[in-house]
Amino acid sequence: MIKKVVVVPRELLMAMAYNLHIIENCLKCTFREHRLFCDLSHDALGKLQAIKATSVYPKGTLLCLEGQPPRGIYILCTGRAKLSTTSAEGKSIILRIADPGEVLGLTAAVSNTPYEATIETMEPSQANFISQSEFVHFLQEFPDVGMKVAQQLTHNCKCAYSEIRSLGLSNSVPEKIAKLILVWAEHPLDLHRQGGNGDIPIRVTLTQEEIAQFVGTSRETVSRVLGDFRRKGWLKIKGATWNIVNKKALEHLVTT
Amino acid sequence: MITVTDQGNKVGLKSLNMNPLTTAANPATNELYASLPVDVRHALEQHARHVIVPRGQGLIQYGILPNQLMILNSGTVEISVPSPEAEVSLGTAGPGKVFGMRALVSGETPEIDVTTLEDCEVTVIPGQEFLGVLQSMPQVYFGVAKVLSADLKIADQLIRNCSRRNLAARKI
Repeated sequence: MIKKVVVVPRELLMAMAYNLHIIENCLKCTFREHRLFCDLSHDALGKLQAIKATSVYPKGTLLCLEGQPPRGIYILCTGRAKLSTTSAEGKSIILRIADPGEVLGLTAAVSNTPYEATIETMEPSQANFISQSEFVHFLQEFPDVGMKVAQQLTHNCKCAYSEIRSLGLSNSVPEKIAKLILVWAEHPLDLHRQGGNGDIPIRVTLTQEEIAQFVGTSRETVSRVLGDFRRKGWLKIKGATWNIVNKKALEHLVTT
Repeated sequence: MITVTDQGNKVGLKSLNMNPLTTAANPATNELYASLPVDVRHALEQHARHVIVPRGQGLIQYGILPNQLMILNSGTVEISVPSPEAEVSLGTAGPGKVFGMRALVSGETPEIDVTTLEDCEVTVIPGQEFLGVLQSMPQVYFGVAKVLSADLKIADQLIRNCSRRNLAARKI
């Protein structure tokens, strides 16, 4: 019997960890043109490849702590991470959730001030770490890196101002939770699974405790509000998969 | 909203008639210039004009694209975010603060209002000239990143404080 041996070039082999394909070569990353930061010139990507250290982290890894001196930045390649702060009573408050392509710890690294939030992975994630000094040189050497950093910061500013505008509104907890669900609905799980009835499937990896930390309420209140949404037939929840059945009702709740 | 035309005609402003190279914003306190090499600073100062903005004027107005970068040299301004129910104040800022950067770099209209609380001395760099220097001297990007980071820190701090207050209020 003749065995057929297929030789795969080493650079095409993909390492795996935590069921995650590790993207080791930024120059060959197929996601980069869809990412906020990574769509850089060939030369800049070459430099990025040389200065970054790739790591894969399990869920719950702390990338940096609030108040810690800046060591560098993390480019989130895959997975998601939550940025949180702590109240005087030791309660955790989620400020926002970072998506793939975001540069984490940017403000601290650029202004050489302590990290402003604790960053924790919410699922197995890959991140490329660049030390602060190397990142500053990288930023000064390549104009397109400077432009991407400016874009990322203007995007973050825009999100922050939008958040502040909503602080001026006296939102109730159901309104806040409805708003959160509507934001998630902008990225449905699978468009093909949307039936003719208009249901929108979303994947929610946040626990009820984390949703409570996000909207500034208790887990019990989140549970009660979600139960209410279900009873009214606005939402179906099956584990991490939620189906938005009546998006209009949620929108109405937010706008009234 | 102040506007400065290419011909140097100023609308709603009194010109200080200063020499830009000798009276430029103090590099020690200016958040943009502080991180830039001298040659880059001089390139920006070539285009700078100095003006007095009277009390109560809007340096930046929500939804209106500014056509210049503004560096506050003296006086105090209030930064606020308009919202449908009430204007949320981000606080006040003093000498060294830079305004209009986000709008110039991104081309997006401002999300904030900046109003002078007293007569303020402001260095004005026309947007096109600033972007020209940015293109020819990419080192400016580091200064841009510093300015934007500072803006973001102010906004994030308010969000953090409000979230903490909400949490404290809930516990009572």
